[in-house]
Order: sequence, then structure tokens, then C-alpha cells
Amino acid sequence: MQRRQSSKTPKQPLQGHHKNQTDLSAWRKGGRIDPEKIVQNHQTPNSQKNDRQQDSLEQALCYFEKVQDRVSLKKNSVLQKHLATVESIALQRGLPPEGFDVLLNVALSGKFADTVNTCLLKSLVPASVIPESSIISSVSWLCVGKCSGNIQLLFLKWLITVFDFIDHKEQIHALYGFFFSFLQDEKMCPYVCHLLYLLTRKENGESIQWCEMEYYFGMQSHLQALLSLYKLFCPELVTITLPGKMKTYFKNSEGPWKAAINAIRQRSQGNSPLSQPLFLGTAQPQSRKRKWNTQLFIPASSTNRNNLEQDRGKNHVDLYSTNKSFPVEQLQTFPQLLENIHHLEFPSQMGSVLTNPLLLHYMNCIKDESVYLRLNYWMGQTLQEECTWCVADNQYEDEFKEFLETVYKTECFLQEGFSSCEEFLYKSLPLWDGFCCRSQILRLVSWIPLGSFSEMKSHLYDPLAQLFFTSSLYFKCSVLESLKELLQNWLNWHVIHLDSASDSQVCSLNTTLSGLVNVVAELIQFVGWISTVSLRLENNPTFLLYFILDFYETVCIPFVFQNPNTLRLSLTFSFVCFFRYRTNLVAAKENEQSKKKILQFKFSSQTYQEYNQYIIAMVGCLWTSTAFQKDIHPQGLRMDEELLKKTAVQEFKTSFNIVYHPAMMGYAVLFLQQAWPDDTTFNFSLIKGKKWNWYLEYLYAQGLKGLKLFIESSINRVSQASHSKAGNTQA
Amino acid sequence: MSVLRPFDKLPALNSAILLLVGSDEGLQQKLAEAMLREKKSFRINIRIATSLPLPSEGDHLRPRIDLIAFMIDIKSKYSLRNVEASLAYVDASFFLGKVCFLVTGVGRLNCCSVEMSAIWKLREVYSSPVLFCELELEGIRVATAQRLLRMLEICAGLIPGVSALYFGSLMSRSANF
Repeated sequence: MQRRQSSKTPKQPLQGHHKNQTDLSAWRKGGRIDPEKIVQNHQTPNSQKNDRQQDSLEQALCYFEKVQDRVSLKKNSVLQKHLATVESIALQRGLPPEGFDVLLNVALSGKFADTVNTCLLKSLVPASVIPESSIISSVSWLCVGKCSGNIQLLFLKWLITVFDFIDHKEQIHALYGFFFSFLQDEKMCPYVCHLLYLLTRKENGESIQWCEMEYYFGMQSHLQALLSLYKLFCPELVTITLPGKMKTYFKNSEGPWKAAINAIRQRSQGNSPLSQPLFLGTAQPQSRKRKWNTQLFIPASSTNRNNLEQDRGKNHVDLYSTNKSFPVEQLQTFPQLLENIHHLEFPSQMGSVLTNPLLLHYMNCIKDESVYLRLNYWMGQTLQEECTWCVADNQYEDEFKEFLETVYKTECFLQEGFSSCEEFLYKSLPLWDGFCCRSQILRLVSWIPLGSFSEMKSHLYDPLAQLFFTSSLYFKCSVLESLKELLQNWLNWHVIHLDSASDSQVCSLNTTLSGLVNVVAELIQFVGWISTVSLRLENNPTFLLYFILDFYETVCIPFVFQNPNTLRLSLTFSFVCFFRYRTNLVAAKENEQSKKKILQFKFSSQTYQEYNQYIIAMVGCLWTSTAFQKDIHPQGLRMDEELLKKTAVQEFKTSFNIVYHPAMMGYAVLFLQQAWPDDTTFNFSLIKGKKWNWYLEYLYAQGLKGLKLFIESSINRVSQASHSKAGNTQA
Repeated sequence: MSVLRPFDKLPALNSAILLLVGSDEGLQQKLAEAMLREKKSFRINIRIATSLPLPSEGDHLRPRIDLIAFMIDIKSKYSLRNVEASLAYVDASFFLGKVCFLVTGVGRLNCCSVEMSAIWKLREVYSSPVLFCELELEGIRVATAQRLLRMLEICAGLIPGVSALYFGSLMSRSANF
């Protein structure tokens, strides 16, 4: 069937000619609907030059249209001249939509030598859109096979690059089978796969065609990527198991076009804000966008879509009305999203999704794996291939930062990390200087999914530790902060997913619960290690301590640390943390006793013992003034009498109670000033008995809620009655 | 022909001496200036050499060296060969935490001519940390200068309770926590 159609095709390009002839003159005389015109309008100062350029371009196009016989480049100065015209105009301003038909026909019909064809194809830079009809006729030329293999390849590369500039895609979708048949060509296969990847819709997966794939399937990455997409659409039809993660999907079909398109876009954007409406979702219209961020916008093919559709009449619109897909460029309002939610058509530059809040909503509520797959593919390519060199070229740094920021915001919105982003981090963290894009990269770290220990150690923990130990205090705090967020994100994600997994038994997690807990335990251990070391390196700054405690409050495990060298003993307990730990343990114990549920986490009796020892030590220090004594834990606070004598600290037993503890002493001073305004000796020993209770009330009133929780839960106060009385008297 | 030894001279009071070895003197100079501009609580003395061994005539005047930083430019194979040749003139006890490799040019990985695996191998063989940076950029140069100062302070024994050996073990990939 394919052959039969292709035998007809040589005529089709000719029809295209006539139609485009009129289009061309329309463009010349100034059809205002064309976005190209908008771009031109503000170039009035050199409009004369433009006119001249247009004339010569028109002449060149006429020449290429009429040329009949095979002409050699060397002998023909006319051809040389026209070729140069097309090339320079294409690079400067891009070609008008009408030019593509002419040039593609010439290039693919094999009238000229390959050097000319290559040159023509390379200058096919769109100024606004590319008409679908020109693509259709090109495909028919491909089927006839008049051009060489290299030209075919170049054409495919071009088609992939400019895919989003094609004004319609319905007819191209109808040619799906043709493209599919090109898979058999070994050289074209990678690019055809890429193209099919862009083209594939749900209904394509349902066709049986993919079955043929298995024949040529040799686990090449491009076929694998295409198959993974099919598998998402029709899991029942793809029988092969595919590896979960893919490094690179397709080779970058890099041609000269991308740079040229971006350059033209920049130029037109820089010149006037008029062209801005071409790009949907321009949140910050003022900023100079380059490289990465230009890709965040939905390409221009959209805006004039309606106009073109009216021009073209109804015939082919009717043909495809059954499967109308809604292009995202037209998506403006939330009701529109709700109406069209099941037939949205995404562009190949998936980055545009990142800046479009409506599409983010879509991604969030419809778990469309194919969108994730495509977005990951796009992002992986953008991050890895375009950003490795950004560091040295300073002028791009701001844009790169902005891009990373956008990725981070999207991750926050979706509450999920991107695997492509994770790969990028794993690849770049070992080479990172710890300075460039610091806050962005550390933020992205917080969305890395926690994986197996060996992976995390070599990819994340080791490089981070190397930077951490040598960097400034500020950097250390930022790392701790981002690791805290990493933990929080992990917890949130698993709370949601464990819930849903228990409801419907979709336990896609192939890791067991204990495995998950181990992963977190390792993270906590890592943070414990770097925190103790950093406290020693930085000489115990309070600022750092704050971040460490912040982390441990999230973890709910007490963190005891001791610096034996200087015998300066810091009690870095967080009361809130202790209270939560207690609550958890008590809850677990009750669970265990009731035996109603299958235990999710099993606490060993050692854990309880450890907790009790911590409590005894804490109470000893803070309350009963028996520090350094009742504690047998090896990491605990007990010390030999001899050693304590050597420190020459008098009253060491009381030195860490709620009056003398360095953290509380400030409160004690204020309390003394209020209670005994005349006494200027700061006699702390006055705080005892009834005053002790007053002091405690005073501390609570100062907002020490953690302390309140801790004391009320962990200390069984004998004089409860007298306490309440004391409270009354104070009130 | 003399081999550099870390402990054959007495340390000076409250001061630290860094030796920068690398083929690009311009970058070394810039880095050294950035380090001197930083605020610090001790005196520093930075010596610059294009390669080792150091000339033996000035040997008696040279102070004790606390840290050697070998600079490798990722864009030049020569810089790597130069460093590899110089490493032979460093006493083994220096590698107990008093040597580091400074790899510059990471900002231009696309024109990188030194294999990354060669760098990783250096780190393994000499069990010394590798710092990545782009010294051509002002901001990163300053950040790198701060990191080097931090290491120098530790290697000179100016942070109580932290020795160069301990720090070296922290920075090694096999560090366990």
C-alpha cells in the first residue's frame, strides 16, 4: 500500500508549486497575518535593505522553482548567486513559510549535486512556521528515492529539529506508517525512531506495526526509547522487559538549525516586544532569554494556526475531525483544560510545560507517563548536552540559573524529582566547584530520590562530603538545609505513596519497607557524621548547631555529641525532638502490645534502653543536677571523678541544669533581675524550691515550648500539687 | 634533586606555607593574590613553582611547607604530565594529608583534553583530595582560595583537634561514617 501511494507522489509536489506561487506573492505584498511580518514591522529603519533582500530572495526562489535540468554548481554563477542569497537570508532572518516548499522540492528531487542539496537543506531556517504541505511533499520525494542517503538523513535531522515549527501535524500523523517503514533502513533508523517518538500518539501504539520492531530489535537505545513509549500506551502489546532507566535516548540530531533559530528569535525579541505574543506563557517578558529559556516557550507555530486553518478550507479538517487533538498552544484557561484534558497534544520541546501552570496541573492530575517520559528525555538532553560548558561562559550563567530554578519549582509543584535531573546532578556533582549556581544545585539535590546506599555514597555523599569539609560555614549550613529538605521530601512522598499502595494494592515499589528505612537511616548517619566533624572543624558555632538541630528535629532522633579533647561538653539535645521520639516509641510500644496490626517498624528492646539512658542523662543534667553520673552508655555523658577533678570546674554537677546551662543562663539572669531587683550579685543558687517552679513557669512563658513538652512528658513530678499551687500564686 | 619532606624543619609560629606547583604561572599568581586578599587569623606564605624538584641552593632558606597543591589544567595534557613528573620529588609522608590536586578548567569540559579517569587515578594512587574549579572566573577563584586556605589552616595544625592526617582520612573516598 505504501508503494502504491508513493508511485503517485511525484505529481504532488507540482501541485504544491502552484499553490505556493500565490502564497509567495502574498507574502511579498505584505500579508499582515504572518508573524514574519510582525517581526519585520519594527525593522523600519532598514526597511529598504529588507526590501532589497526580499527581492533577491524572491528571485532566488523563482529560480529554484523553475530550474529544470541538472546544473553543476561550479560552472553556474547564477546558481551560486541564488544559493548565497538563500543562505544569508536564512541565517539572518529565517525563511518565510512559502519558501520551504520550493527549496525542499529542489533539494530532495535530486536535480542538483549533493553539495547544493546539503547547502539548501542547511539553510532551511524557519522565520515563523513551516507549512505542513511542504513536509508531506518532501516525504513523497523520500519515497521516490531520488536523493542520496546522506540527504535523506539530513532531511530527517532537520525535520526533528524543526518539528515544532510545523503548522499542522494531522497529515503528517497520517503518514505514520511511511515513517515506520523507514525503520528498516539501518542508517535512518535512529533518526526515524526519534521522529516516531515525537509523532507517536496513543492510537499509534495500538496498531500492530510495532511488532515488526522486535525483528530489528537489538537493544539499541533509540529503539528502546521508542518501545518504552509504546509500552506506556499499550503495555499489553510490548512483551519485552525494558531497563528502567535510560541514559540517553537519542543521539542529538544536531544540525546548524537550532543555533540559527535561536539567534533569529533573540534578534527579533531583542528588537521589539511586539514579537513576544508569539510565545505562549512569557512570564517575564523583559528578560533576555537565550538558549535554555527560549526552549521553555511553546514554539510559534501556534498563533497563526487558526488563520491558516481558515485559509485552507475545510476539506482536510473534516477528514481528521474524528481524532482532533487539542494543541497546547491554544490552551489559555482552566475550563479549556478541563474540556480537552483527554486529547492534549504536546510539543516536542517539552520544556514549555515547565512554565505553563495549566499543563503542570495536567501533569499532576493525569498520570500520563508518556508526558513524563518525554519531559525527562528533553530535560536530560538539555541539561547534559547544553549545560556542561555553561560554567565558563559567564554570560550564560544567569540564564542557566533561571532554568535550574524553573526545574526546581516544577519539582516542588509536582512533588517529585525528575530522573533526568538526578542523572545530571550525579554527573556534575563530582566536578562541581561548590560555587557556581550553588543555591540552585543544592535545591535540586533536595529532590533526588533516595536510592541504594552504594549509589548514594559514590554519587551524592562522597562528592558532597569533599565539598562540605573544605567549604565555608555558610556552605555547610546550606548543605545541611538541603539534606533536611531531601529527607522531608522523601517522607512526604512515601506517606502519600504508602497510603495509596495500601488502598489499592499497586505496590510498584520493588523495595521492601525495611529497605526504605535503611536508606533513610544511612542518610541520617551521613548527616550525623558530617555534622560532628564540621562542629569540630568550625569550633562549635551556634549558627551551624541550629541547622544540625533543625535536621534532627525532622528525624526525631536525639543527637548526642561530645568533644572529649577539650572537655567542653555540649548538650545538643533538642527538646522537641526528644518529645517526638518519645511519642513515636510509646506509640510503637502500644502497637506491639495490642498486636492488632502487623508491625511496620520493629523497635528492638535496645532502642528503648538507649532511649531510657538518654532520658536519665538528660534529666540528670537538667533537673536533678546529677550530671556525669547515672549513665552507663558508652557514648553517654558519664565521666570519671578523676577526670572531672582535673577540669577544675567547681559545681560540675549543677553546671548543666536549667539554671546554669549555657543555653538557659540568659533566662536565669533576667529572671533574677525580675525576682530580686535589688540583688546585683546574680546569686543563681537562690533559684530553688518554690522559686524553681516560678522559674520554670517563667521559662515556659518565654516560649520554650520544647522544654515544656519534654519536662511534662519525661519528668514525673512528685510535687504536682505544689506545682499547680505555685502556678496559681504566680497568676 | 632533593625530595621535599614535610617534617624536616621546624614550623614557624602562627603561620602556614603553601606550595603551588603547576605549569600556568599566570593562574597561580592570580590564585595566590586571591588567597592573600582573604581575611585570616594567621600569616600565610605562598610559594610558586612550575615543577619539582625545587632548586637545592635555596634549600636552607626555605621554610617548612604545610601543603602542596598541584594544579592541573584540564585543557592541557602537558600540565598533567608535568604534575605526574613532579610527584616523584615529594616524600611519601607528604601524602598523609598534606597534598591536594587542584583541577582547573572544569567550566570548559567540551574542550577537555585530559581524561577524567586520569584524574581519578591520581586521587586513588596518591590518596589525596581533588578540588575542581575554574580559576579563570573571579567568583570561583575566590571560592577556591577560601577552600585552599581552609585546608592550609588544618594542614598547618592551626585548628585544635584536627590534624592533617585526620583531615586527609575524611577527604578520602573510602571514609566511612
